[in-house]
Amino acid sequence: MLDAGRRPLARAFRRNGREWLTFLLFVGPNLALFAVFTYWPILRSFVLSFTKWNLLAPAPEWAGLANYRRLFADPTFWRVALNTFIYAVAVVAVAQACAFLLALLLNRPLRGRALLRTIAFLPHVTTTAVAALVWVIVLHPHYGPLSSLYAALGVNGPNWLESASLALFAVIAVGIWKEIGFASLFFLAGLQGLPADCYEAAALDGVRPLSRLWHITIPLMSPVIFFLLVTGFIAATKAFDSVAIMTEGGPVYPASSTYVYHLYKLGFRDFQAGLASALACIFFIVTVAITALQFRMASRWVHYGE
Amino acid sequence: MASDAVIGVGRARTLANGAIYALLLFSCVLLGLPFFWMLVTSLKSPHELAAYPPSWWPESPQWGNYAEAWRSAPFGRMYVNSLAAGFAATALQVGLALLMAYAFAFIRFPARRFWLLLVLATMMIPDEMKLVPNYLTLSRLDWINTYWALIIPPAAHAFPVFGFYQQFRMVPSALFDAAKADGAGHWRILWRVVLPMSRPVLVAVTLVSFLGRWNDFLWPLIVTDTASMRTLPVGLAYLKKQAEEGASPWHLMMAAALFIVIPVVILYSILQKQFVEGITKGAIKG
Repeated sequence: MLDAGRRPLARAFRRNGREWLTFLLFVGPNLALFAVFTYWPILRSFVLSFTKWNLLAPAPEWAGLANYRRLFADPTFWRVALNTFIYAVAVVAVAQACAFLLALLLNRPLRGRALLRTIAFLPHVTTTAVAALVWVIVLHPHYGPLSSLYAALGVNGPNWLESASLALFAVIAVGIWKEIGFASLFFLAGLQGLPADCYEAAALDGVRPLSRLWHITIPLMSPVIFFLLVTGFIAATKAFDSVAIMTEGGPVYPASSTYVYHLYKLGFRDFQAGLASALACIFFIVTVAITALQFRMASRWVHYGE
Repeated sequence: MASDAVIGVGRARTLANGAIYALLLFSCVLLGLPFFWMLVTSLKSPHELAAYPPSWWPESPQWGNYAEAWRSAPFGRMYVNSLAAGFAATALQVGLALLMAYAFAFIRFPARRFWLLLVLATMMIPDEMKLVPNYLTLSRLDWINTYWALIIPPAAHAFPVFGFYQQFRMVPSALFDAAKADGAGHWRILWRVVLPMSRPVLVAVTLVSFLGRWNDFLWPLIVTDTASMRTLPVGLAYLKKQAEEGASPWHLMMAAALFIVIPVVILYSILQKQFVEGITKGAIKG
């Protein structure tokens, strides 16, 4: 008894041993994979970011803050960061606005609503690599549907992907196309959950539809809007597939390159593991910071109804 | 007077409905146009493809384009790769997540919440951060350009754990206790009690996991380096690169693109509800 009192852990184990072992058996295999392919890579990314390594040399060489200094002094880095910001803001703003309108239209008993919803959501499940390839031809000045318009107007259409100023917007178009149906689904679910009595009262008071939208619908929908803004923005900063397929960052690098494409290029084309890891660590820190910031801002304007 | 007003309202409503239908039709045409163009282009002859302005309907549909596209790259092999790696990774991901989520929900263990948070916190970490170190680990294991590379690293993911855990927490504890009192062990309870109650979530999570693998581009691009190991999206990217060097057989590329989306479109049309549920739940991961 004295012995057991001195060793509470051992006593606890005698009592719960079977339960604990089962827990370890159930959690262990997955946690082992997490350790090797998630936790370890995070640590290693931070360590590698302080080294110089071209993957051919036998071992990485300590470099201190050199990678970070090099990145911050590199105009390409800033251009890529700016492109990613433009991409994310454009995709989130345009897709969310269109999706909200689409959801308002769909939120009434219309015939064929289910079919419309199916079509709207289809782009989201489409493989991004395929979507990007299809958009290459949709925007093509010769083979695309827009060229019918150009021909009718008698003008030469812009060659989106060959233009340094337009290429990024071609990539943005794919992002918007994939996002609209997805976001409208959330908005629609939100709209259908709004309390009907609010609207009945407003209608009795003679509140005009536009004013109802502004003063009732949008405030009540703010949690959904906010949720989609945060998740949409973070997802958009990871754009890679469409850049790789459509432009490879071109026509003159980094005209349409994004952050993750730059990471891929540094790590797997230029074999600069240290520099790519520094890029990855900055990405990690910024992602976490944006999430935190957006949640702090939320308390100011998001209305959580009770 | 009164009936006049009613008629006026009725007319305004018809007009509004008409406008709404027109707007909806317009947005659907915009969203559907890329699919339509993919299909039409895939059926054009090289001669028709070159026409300017382009035709909006193939003069005589060239069904042979599909056979020709299929032969232009090892699509059979790439289909096998995509399917095999997709199924294996999904099965592993879902199976491991089931066990883990069950343990977090039902088995007592010291600091259980801490372990749960340790796993769920990884949902905040961008997958892209793991690319370089995981590539290094795989080359150490000599797994580059093997099925292991396509299957094992993506298998541990927090999203299915989160999905199952949320569902399991809703299982009434009375039911769990009753099974326990009957002398059922955890393994039995998982299969006989918890899983049958969680079928919709199981289907939704499995679909999203598989879709993620099928559509994945960056990871297979990095870890495969021969045509025989490529998955479909990566194979398509290489086909496009080859085309850039020569003439552009866009009709064939659109046919190849259809090979990849058609399984997804079919699966999506059959299991639309589960797809939507899984994807909207998965969005919480961001």
